[in-house]
Amino acid sequence: MTVNVTSADWYALAPISIVAITALVVLLADLFAPKHVNRYLAIVLAVLGIVVAATDCKAAYAHDFAAFGGAFIVGGFSVVFQEIILIAALGSVVLYGAIGKDDRIAGAIALMLWSACGAMLMAGAGSLMTIFLGIELLSLALYCLCGLADRPTAREAAFKYLILSSVASGFMLYGMAMLFGASGSVALADLTNPVLASNPLLWIGGGLFLVGISFKLSLVPFHAWSPDVYEGAPLPVTAFMSVATKAGTLAVFARFVYAAMPSGVADRLLLPIWIVAGISMIAGNVGMLAQHDLKRLLAYSGIAQIGYMLAALAGGTALGMRYAIFYLAAYTFMNLGAFAIAALISDDAEQGSRLANYRGLAQKSPAAAALMTVFLLALAGLPPTAGFLGKILILSTTASAGYVWLGIALIVGTAISLYAYAKIIRAMYQRDEHAHTHAAHPFVPLAWASAIVCCVAVVVLTFVPPALRDVLPLVR
Amino acid sequence: MLPMSVPLIDYVALSSVIFFIGVAGVLVRRNPLIVLMSIELMFNAANLLFMAFARAWGNNAGHIFAFLVITVAAAEAAIGLAIVVTVFRTARHVDVDDVSLMKG
Repeated sequence: MTVNVTSADWYALAPISIVAITALVVLLADLFAPKHVNRYLAIVLAVLGIVVAATDCKAAYAHDFAAFGGAFIVGGFSVVFQEIILIAALGSVVLYGAIGKDDRIAGAIALMLWSACGAMLMAGAGSLMTIFLGIELLSLALYCLCGLADRPTAREAAFKYLILSSVASGFMLYGMAMLFGASGSVALADLTNPVLASNPLLWIGGGLFLVGISFKLSLVPFHAWSPDVYEGAPLPVTAFMSVATKAGTLAVFARFVYAAMPSGVADRLLLPIWIVAGISMIAGNVGMLAQHDLKRLLAYSGIAQIGYMLAALAGGTALGMRYAIFYLAAYTFMNLGAFAIAALISDDAEQGSRLANYRGLAQKSPAAAALMTVFLLALAGLPPTAGFLGKILILSTTASAGYVWLGIALIVGTAISLYAYAKIIRAMYQRDEHAHTHAAHPFVPLAWASAIVCCVAVVVLTFVPPALRDVLPLVR
Repeated sequence: MLPMSVPLIDYVALSSVIFFIGVAGVLVRRNPLIVLMSIELMFNAANLLFMAFARAWGNNAGHIFAFLVITVAAAEAAIGLAIVVTVFRTARHVDVDDVSLMKG
């Protein structure tokens, strides 16, 4: 097979290249700029690069194109995921700019941008090779980012994430080798050959591949890393990780489910994943009840939320895909918003993000308490927030696809989670004589701005859900 | 498929043995460096499988994939060793069980 590479192929990679080059520019600018402006410069350059990449990315929305012989597929599907990843990168870069240490700003922002490149690559990956490259680029940058804070828990988080994530990559890679052996090609599209349905290599390889995916998505039997890593990592990094890894991996998983399976295999091979998604919804929400740290709590919340998104994909309908993407977008905003408020409240460097800090918050800062309430309600899935609409849509699609038990798990999980979220809201509105005083971060307005933008998005998405075009044909 | 002097199944068997030695190493050994080495073993088991299947199918993509994996594994080892150094710099002896400030 010969592949003719034309300029159109390179244009397909333009958004990723822009982000990667921005990371280099941020590093270089930090090297030559005077000390007192380097924070401004890093933030401005990174935001500029992300905005340019997002604008450039949009152009491919209506033009599907399989670049590099199908190794990288751009179109509605990849664009939506890439935009979500860019939003996550934007939010986390701004948060890092708001509370990060001066001497690490440029390095951290550059690593975040490279990590975003990996996730964006995953969003368009059409071959096993691109998937592996994307996952490793995403993960390698995240290992470094996790260890950036000056406390032992951060180094521990980096170490745990490194070991566990590498093992998961190993399983995934071995699975990919088996899939390659089954089809004789690294292209995902070649896995749809009906001859493969009886090939044991496809079953074993597919299973190992899905184990790796489940780990990266932190589904239940493979979730133990996520609370520790979320707690240990610096707060903006946790915010980025919670959205970008989920978005990138969900894109890979969705493409695998919708466009890389011979008919007849998908139902049986994926059944364990749907079961695990159901268990994650319950276990994630139960795990939330015992937490005393906001980042740990949001990690358990994320385990449940990814269960909801997978539930939308069960059954493999076009509508389910759109609803999963909608929920992912909503989750991005509510999660980033919650982390923005956490950045305002907690002194991340020393005491982490203890939930005790939130007692009596409404007295100290009514606005922060109100915004946090909106985000927690959205995470719990109550109206008038996008979380509510997303859950209703997911319930409708799981029911019509014949996965009623997943819908029941979603409702039970939501009921459990209400208690955990309500506990924080109650604590915020309690009177407390010893309410925690804010840590004075230098660039607090930035965190405020991102919290307000997220809050507006969470509410507006409910009433004006974006008319996503049917992205299913573009996956193939 | 192309004819091969050593049957394909032997390569698959060998690579799965190597893979499981790697998995066992990660689970059993307590020294972080040995754990990193075991992870490399898992990656290399996959490489062997890629090479065998590339030969069997006459498709060079497997060779290229193996090169890619070697490159990525090198990057991963560099970052991994750096993290191990930062974690264990102050420790007398290195043992992964000592890294337990947080309990998932």
